[in-house]
Amino acid sequence: MDSRDKVLDKYSSKIYKNRKEHVIEIDGGEPQVIAADTRAIPGIMTNRGCCYAGCKGVVIGPLKDVVNIVHGPIGCAYYTWGTRRNKAKGDENTKDFTQYSFSTDMQETDIVFGGEKKLRQAIKEAVEIFNPECIMISSTCPVGLIGDDIHAIAAEAEKQYGIKVLAFSCEGYKGVSQSGGHHIANNGLMKYIIGTGDAEPVKYSVNLLGEYNIGGDGWEVERILKRIGYHVVSVMTGDGSYDHMKNAHTADLNLVQCHRSINYIAEMMKTKYGMDWIKVNFIGLESIKKSLMDIATYFGDPELLARTEAVIAEELDEIEEGMAYYKSKLDGKKAAVYVGGSRTHHYINLLKYLGVDVVLAGYEFGHRDDYEGRDVIPSIKIDADSKNIESITVTKDEANYKTFHSPEKLEALKAAGVPLEKYDGLWSDISEGAIITDDFNHFETEEFLKLLKPDIFFSGIKDKFIVQKSGVPSRQLHSYDYSGPYAGFRGALNFAKDITMATYTPVWNMVQAPWKSEPTLVGSLGGME
Amino acid sequence: MSKNLVNLNVNPCKMCMPMGTANAFYGIQKCMNILHGSQGCSTYIRRHMATHYNEPVDIASSSLTEEGTVYGGEKNLIIGLENLIKLYQPEVIGVSTTCLAETIGEDIEFIIKNFYASHPDEKVTIIPVKSAGYGGTQFEGFTRALRAIVSHVEMDPTKHDKINIITTMVSPADTRYLKDVLDQFGLEYILLPDLSENLDGVHQSSYYRLPMHGTPISEIQKMAGARATIEISDTIKPDESPGVYLYENYGVPYKRLNLPMGLRDTDALMDLLSELSKKTVPEKIVKARGRYLDGMVDSHKYNALGRIAIFGEPDFVVSAVRLCCENGAMPVIAATGSNCPQLKEKIEAELSKLADVLFVDNYVILNDVDFETIEEEAIRLGANLMLGNSDGRRIEEKHGIPLIRCAFPIHDRVGGQRVRTLGYEGSQVLLDQITNTILKAVEGGFRETLYNTYYNEGPKSKYGLEPETEAKMKVLENKKATDPLTPQAQTIEEKTANHPCYSCGASQKNARMHLPIAPKCNIQCNYCVRKFDCPNESRPGVTTEILSPEAAFEKYKLVKEKVPNLTVVGIAGPGDALANFDETRKALTLIHEYDPNVTFCVSTNGLMLPYYAKELASLGVSHITVTVNAVDPAIGAKIYKHVDFMGNRYHGEAGASILLANQLSGIKLLIDEGVIVKINTVTLMGINDTHIEEVVKTVKDMGCFISNVMPLIPVKGSAFEGLQIATNHEINAIRDKCGVHLKQMYHCKQCRADAIGKLDSDISLDFRENEAKSKAVVLAAPKGLRFAITSKGGMLVDQHFGQASELYIYDYLDDEVRFKEKRVIGNYCSGEEECDEKEDKIGTILKALNDCDGAITMRIGDLPTKRLESKGIKVFSTYDRIEDAVKTAAQEILRSELSKSQELLNVSGGI
Repeated sequence: MDSRDKVLDKYSSKIYKNRKEHVIEIDGGEPQVIAADTRAIPGIMTNRGCCYAGCKGVVIGPLKDVVNIVHGPIGCAYYTWGTRRNKAKGDENTKDFTQYSFSTDMQETDIVFGGEKKLRQAIKEAVEIFNPECIMISSTCPVGLIGDDIHAIAAEAEKQYGIKVLAFSCEGYKGVSQSGGHHIANNGLMKYIIGTGDAEPVKYSVNLLGEYNIGGDGWEVERILKRIGYHVVSVMTGDGSYDHMKNAHTADLNLVQCHRSINYIAEMMKTKYGMDWIKVNFIGLESIKKSLMDIATYFGDPELLARTEAVIAEELDEIEEGMAYYKSKLDGKKAAVYVGGSRTHHYINLLKYLGVDVVLAGYEFGHRDDYEGRDVIPSIKIDADSKNIESITVTKDEANYKTFHSPEKLEALKAAGVPLEKYDGLWSDISEGAIITDDFNHFETEEFLKLLKPDIFFSGIKDKFIVQKSGVPSRQLHSYDYSGPYAGFRGALNFAKDITMATYTPVWNMVQAPWKSEPTLVGSLGGME
Repeated sequence: MSKNLVNLNVNPCKMCMPMGTANAFYGIQKCMNILHGSQGCSTYIRRHMATHYNEPVDIASSSLTEEGTVYGGEKNLIIGLENLIKLYQPEVIGVSTTCLAETIGEDIEFIIKNFYASHPDEKVTIIPVKSAGYGGTQFEGFTRALRAIVSHVEMDPTKHDKINIITTMVSPADTRYLKDVLDQFGLEYILLPDLSENLDGVHQSSYYRLPMHGTPISEIQKMAGARATIEISDTIKPDESPGVYLYENYGVPYKRLNLPMGLRDTDALMDLLSELSKKTVPEKIVKARGRYLDGMVDSHKYNALGRIAIFGEPDFVVSAVRLCCENGAMPVIAATGSNCPQLKEKIEAELSKLADVLFVDNYVILNDVDFETIEEEAIRLGANLMLGNSDGRRIEEKHGIPLIRCAFPIHDRVGGQRVRTLGYEGSQVLLDQITNTILKAVEGGFRETLYNTYYNEGPKSKYGLEPETEAKMKVLENKKATDPLTPQAQTIEEKTANHPCYSCGASQKNARMHLPIAPKCNIQCNYCVRKFDCPNESRPGVTTEILSPEAAFEKYKLVKEKVPNLTVVGIAGPGDALANFDETRKALTLIHEYDPNVTFCVSTNGLMLPYYAKELASLGVSHITVTVNAVDPAIGAKIYKHVDFMGNRYHGEAGASILLANQLSGIKLLIDEGVIVKINTVTLMGINDTHIEEVVKTVKDMGCFISNVMPLIPVKGSAFEGLQIATNHEINAIRDKCGVHLKQMYHCKQCRADAIGKLDSDISLDFRENEAKSKAVVLAAPKGLRFAITSKGGMLVDQHFGQASELYIYDYLDDEVRFKEKRVIGNYCSGEEECDEKEDKIGTILKALNDCDGAITMRIGDLPTKRLESKGIKVFSTYDRIEDAVKTAAQEILRSELSKSQELLNVSGGI
């Protein structure tokens, strides 16, 4: 019995039937199909969050000049208060509300009699106290059930105060994971914000999509882009702002970092404004190099290309020595990577560079295209849960529509390997033999940990302690354990340093992972040695 | 501002109920918790608990989806239970509901019954807890789970010798401490819950996903037969208390204690344990106590510098306040995000006592509060240290006030599970941190601060605070200045900042003048008698003269010439500005044409406001004060004798209703016009004193800027002449309560209708031209007369007798007035708590006045008047320059003596 079967075997037949489609071993043959984006099994200790987490927690929460009012009882506002380490900094032109948590703090009477009055009043207070240019309202579970019309209130407030007010019906029970919330947030930003600004277009300008500036990642990426000579119109949404995002339509190109959470906006902007998008990855030296060259190739300016090459060379020079040292310390190690919807894939390249092989991987809320590549999108069956999430269609905005390249030129670029509207998913980089588990849970984490014995485990806070206490170094890849940035060239060095430190701390000499001294398994390990 | 009571909670100082239940269930052996609701609830709570405890935290979810909200969640919950049992084999499962489950009305007791029915062999004990996130905070969630445990576990009431110990959320390390203490007393006990191992485990060679430690269900079953329960929490509501449940259902006697923090509360626990175990307190504990006491002595000399902000769950706040107080470190903020009305009662006396000793003017007890309010108060009250959970870190970062992280949750440091605050040792750990943080601040700024303060005579503190706090106040002011309240208020902002009645800072530098042009009034307040010709009173409604608009304009020009810092012109009666609107309009127009920069300010009772609001705004009036004494016509009816409106006179509730309706609609119009509105409220004890908060809340919601709660000035001849006057203490208590909702004015001087100058130095006497000087023949005194005068500054008779802490002694001889000396006395009246000592005080005062013939004061109560007069000291109530007042008083004494002797003469002559 191989590792996969050993773990699945412990499930009841009902769960087994469900989970076997989500847990696969990469066999190196034909592209494999994995079940993803389906309901989590009750009681199984999923790591997934809810729709609200995806909308408020991930996408709109980081917008710094927005007062994000959570309409609902207090808990949900509290739990998204600075928990994601999406760094932001205000300046004299931009307010920064990311250190705040705003809630209507609904009480029992509000549930019974409705919370609309309270929300109206809360908006008024927010305007009076904080004077923001934009307010976003996110609703939590009870709101959808008691029927508060937050959209009408938002529209009314927008008129009354002359500022932008948006509402997001992202009740926790919608969809099957955070993913539904991403989509809802994307829809709102697209409908009401992007394209409302009137900034003048700037040459070689880009938007950075799906970069949440965890631990300062976005700052590092922006630094590099600016060095080469790009103008970053807006970052969605880490350290991003309403003020910048409203002009996003004036950029020439969209760069998509996190495919899962924001591909909707990239697609819609292509339809509405004719703006091309490419999938980039600024994590891992090879990925950064490729992404930067892809961008330069897209713009096709020889000077830009030359400058890109020069910057890459300089940046690499700065970190080369350090990377070589850490590589010597990490070469041959094995890792497990379990993160949200795109990040797992992003790190595989960086780990490979350091000589670390990924033996166990998975997404918390990825869709099939995040595993198998966008080519499978037409074959994905939409189930009832996803149908409940609104999917908006946009049409061409004649006034602002512009194409940077002719269709022929785009084809030529694609042929040259520029990933225009293209994403090949995790499969493109994962090694043969790796175990992939979609919507991994506590039980599987623990079991696979024992069986596959990774040397380091990249995951989140909820499973971090099981891993650590089992004698295996762990690193949170959702929030970087108070560290970062990990993106870009300098970030790569931070990452290498952090995991080398984690692997070589003297503590591990004093505790020993139990299976290293006492054999707990009988039989062969299915070619895993 | 307690936004919880209002509408926007900014930075919550609380979490939700399911969070509390999850913590509680972690203290039960082989227990798993499943949350019935969206999976986000479990994920968020696991995430936050794991960060605090640095342990894996497994909480399942029934993962309700949209379908579940339509068809009910029973199916999901039952599958969830099945899977949880299969994967974890728990002996106990806690099922907690969430907002979602409660909103769709899930009957979990019923679902659990169905589960047992369809799984007849299932031995697991399932405990349901109703814990909607909107029903309370994590604090209530925790106790509610415990109550659910004792009320759902099948109890065995057979008597035995163990005692029950029930705690609210205390750290695993503190739980271990409690167990150690119980062991030292040799007591057999059942501890509920016991999260000491599950959430702070030892490193083990294998990991058990099921919590193997904690209180076993077999022990919980015996709680009904215990000989006593100790509930370590004195703030749990009785109907949520597990101890009360055991008492009511099984007759187990219980005693509730504060968390054993600090000397007294730890002593209380030890006493009780000693009594229950019938053993003396063990030597080891006695020594620990001795050491803590020794530590208290060692650090006593530093702690008085502490101004501490304490926040968190009610139990923690109560005991932390007591610990700080017993060590002489002043808690200036005691705040909980939970709703715990008895908090104030439990700590008020303690705080007020220490505040007196340390000359701390102000502190606040805040219930159901958010961090924005805590932040504002911390700056206002000059807090220099915070005790609480890590959510105070934003304040720490922003204002540099150090935070000692010592409660749940701690998210930005390691070691939350090991925090020690209980017992003598825990108290010592906490006290050392407090003292050392204070020392660090002192030592850190030692050279520079000392050098600047004593040698360099550095910049004099504007607020009389430490330089750092001063800097913060400035930051806050700047922030407010650059962060306008509303977009349209920007120009008014400056005016407000420069208006002495709206900005405390401006009251020190800018002057204002009241134009007495409005004699008529359209309502009769029971506390008011308007007098037009009384130079000797200082209160609203009083003026020496009535001016025509033209005369008022002339006077304005005169005053402006002599008082260049005159920035505000107000119309404050003596009647109502709007009952004399023609005059008001005329005067405002004249002055506005002459000086367009002047800030206009009008006071009104608001009756005619709906008719003139727009015009007032167009005349350039930027600030309007409306006196609103009640927002309930029933209460208003007791305050207003009658209301004259549209040619009719209305009495009782009818009148009060009209007045109220017009006040509110008028205020609304003003706010819409961008006028800054101040609300004056006269405190009438027994009539509206408990209602004022309601008034303030109402006007806050309408968008008023500041509220001014004033004491009643009792006026002879008014209906409220005999009404009990609120003490300063009572007024300030009301202001503090209202301050939660709306900015309060603490510096109101209740000025006359013809006041001129800065708030605390009226110079209107210098501008009185028509004053009719007494032309009576000056009588020569055969002997000198001596007077005691109450005065704020030594110029005017302008202080209430009860509020004077010193007397100015003047001698009168041959129409000459000479200052002799100042005599210090304690205030006769400074608040309720000192009433017992009143007798002694007035005795002292009488002694100080022994050699005086008269006492001249602005106002004085009946009791002291009688006492003074019984000693032959005549009492004069006046408002005047001291010299003039002394002369007048002396003449009166001489005249009465003369007439007495003439009477005598007459009588004898008649014989």
